[in-house]
Amino acid sequence: MSIAVPSASQTARATATALPSASHGPLFLSDVVWVCYRSLKKLSRNPFLLMFTLIMPLIWLALFSQAFGTVFSKAIPEPYNYVAVLLPGIAVMTAIQSASQSGFAMVADIDSGFMDKFFVAPIRRTAVLVGKLLADAIRMAAQAGVVLVIAYVLSLALGWKIPFATGLPGDLLIMLMAAAFGVAFAGLSNTVALRTKNTESTMMVSFTLTFPLLFLSSAMLPLAALPAWIQTFSKINPVAYVATAARSLIVSGYNWTQIGQAFLAVAILGVLLNGLAVLAFRAQGR
Amino acid sequence: MPAAPSTTVPTSPALTSAEGMGIPSLEVRDLVKVFGGGGGPGRQPEVRAVDGITFSVDEGEFFGFLGPNGAGKTTAIKIVTTLLARTSGHVRVLGHDLDTEGSAIRRLIGYTGQSAGVDGELTGRENLALMGHLYHLPTPLIRQRVDELLEVLQLTDAADRVAYTYSGGMRRRLDLGSGLVHHPRLLFLDEPTTGLDPQTRNAVWEYLRRLHRDEGITIFLTTQYMEEADQLCERLAIIDHGKLVAAGTPAQLKAEVGADAVTIRLPHDASFEATQTRALTLVQRAPGVVEASRFDEGVVARAQNGGSVLIEILRILETERIPVNEVAVAHPTLDQVFLKHTGHAMRVEEVRPASRMGWANRRR
Ligand SMILES: Nc1ncnc2c1ncn2[C@@H]1O[C@H](COP(=O)(O)OP(=O)(O)OP(=O)(O)O)[C@@H](O)[C@H]1O
Ligand SMILES: [Mg+2]
Repeated sequence: MSIAVPSASQTARATATALPSASHGPLFLSDVVWVCYRSLKKLSRNPFLLMFTLIMPLIWLALFSQAFGTVFSKAIPEPYNYVAVLLPGIAVMTAIQSASQSGFAMVADIDSGFMDKFFVAPIRRTAVLVGKLLADAIRMAAQAGVVLVIAYVLSLALGWKIPFATGLPGDLLIMLMAAAFGVAFAGLSNTVALRTKNTESTMMVSFTLTFPLLFLSSAMLPLAALPAWIQTFSKINPVAYVATAARSLIVSGYNWTQIGQAFLAVAILGVLLNGLAVLAFRAQGR
Repeated sequence: MPAAPSTTVPTSPALTSAEGMGIPSLEVRDLVKVFGGGGGPGRQPEVRAVDGITFSVDEGEFFGFLGPNGAGKTTAIKIVTTLLARTSGHVRVLGHDLDTEGSAIRRLIGYTGQSAGVDGELTGRENLALMGHLYHLPTPLIRQRVDELLEVLQLTDAADRVAYTYSGGMRRRLDLGSGLVHHPRLLFLDEPTTGLDPQTRNAVWEYLRRLHRDEGITIFLTTQYMEEADQLCERLAIIDHGKLVAAGTPAQLKAEVGADAVTIRLPHDASFEATQTRALTLVQRAPGVVEASRFDEGVVARAQNGGSVLIEILRILETERIPVNEVAVAHPTLDQVFLKHTGHAMRVEEVRPASRMGWANRRR
């Protein structure tokens, strides 16, 4: 029976030119897709997790709009409902939450020995990381989508004044932004996971950062309604840029400067945190 | 004829490849792995997990590492499968250099780790197929190969159930299969049957024998079980505290021990050491005893005719009022080989649950 495993001589020839990385171009992409497929399949096998993945944003939405709505509505310029202002914050918050958990899967795979299966396969280690992040991104985009759909339904049912100024394309852009931010922030969770190999540590680090990042930004309130020092801090808080851009998409329309700034902030955060994650990943077993 | 060195055998003839063969499948020279040490706040005591081992495995050979818990088996196997960096030493796998040709090596080897590395949330079939994709086999071929493996591993009926629901033995077999999807030329197995019931163990042995015989795969296995090493391995090395203490075919190793072993276990009380010393002197002088030595529970004597020598020894000890807990006569086994080379009996910690397995080796 012939199998597509290269013979020794073929491999020797191939490796003379193609070292040290395992697979390039299309093969790398294929590896990423399979790793991602596996993560998504796991998610689908976990109805409970899947359900909560989708219910979580709903709970945030209900909680914030009801608990703070009346208090904060004074800070919101008419004619908009507080929910319109809150919506992007909820989308980002959901992404942050999911991103915080990104490292759990890493720890689980290391503990079970499954990670070694990836590491002995002739694939690049980065393909494993990228594949997992791609699965996270899809999950986080879907969650942001759920937030938007629910808000839309409620705006019809309860008469909330949410303009959805940019319609479906703008909503897709918000989903993309939330996912991109989530992937960037997941770098932290994965770095801690890979360095500590411990679920509790992974949870604590991300958890500790989540709320400051959210509340020291315009995610939950318009910037003008916040104290001066928070306004200053939000200049270096990537959450603020994402929330601002997303809010404009809902309330007023495309503001490409804001959108550009948001993606730039996400890119900087992402390169930084995921750079650390890649280093931690490469260092496994070293 | 078997070399019979006393304690360490770094370069015994049995450890290097037999004459007249081609390139060995695996060549390891002076391999060292030190964990911990160094600076920093989380500093841990230094552990020399692998302490200068040299051996090689020939193409087509069934080779084994036999050693107790913490001997360094997993550490060694992880180094040669590119999973773990070594501290020093030279390694060539299938003629490839470990440092510069890692990906070529990974393409050609199969690995089944100590903890069953299967994804519980995927079905058996999905687990195997995923591996096929990661080794870049064409999809139709993967389908065919997966069916074939499920069949031989007797997992066809459970193929479409998530691996969660598998028994320990089924998981082990699936794990074995996932290292075989790409037809590796050299297969590494880290304690493939630890924690399995005897029946399942036999089935796995049978499968490994077939794999080796029919497909000519070179197999490197680690085990804590004397019987497993004896049954499967054409050649084996005994590893203890990171060092290889003996190597050869099971027959050679047993011939080294030669005579029967008469084991006398003494009560473990306050005067154990004094008793042991007296007993040792007496046993050494007993007629028929070729050699006697202490071990951690008493005294072991070697004699050609163990049974009658034992009667004699017991009579002497009785006269001298030395209390005896337990006696045994054993014909040469690998246990005695182990005892002879390490000075202690080999103990096996039974059945460590797979899910906890990672914990011991987790911190790096
Ligand atoms: N990551 C690590 N950090 C520190 N010490 C380690 C690490 N991994 C292994 N060790 C130590 O190295 C030694 C050898 O461990 P190893 O896991 O190789 O043994 P083993 O022969 O596989 O044992 P077992 O039969 O229990 O699997 C042990 O003392 C162990 O505690
Ligand atoms: Mg081990």
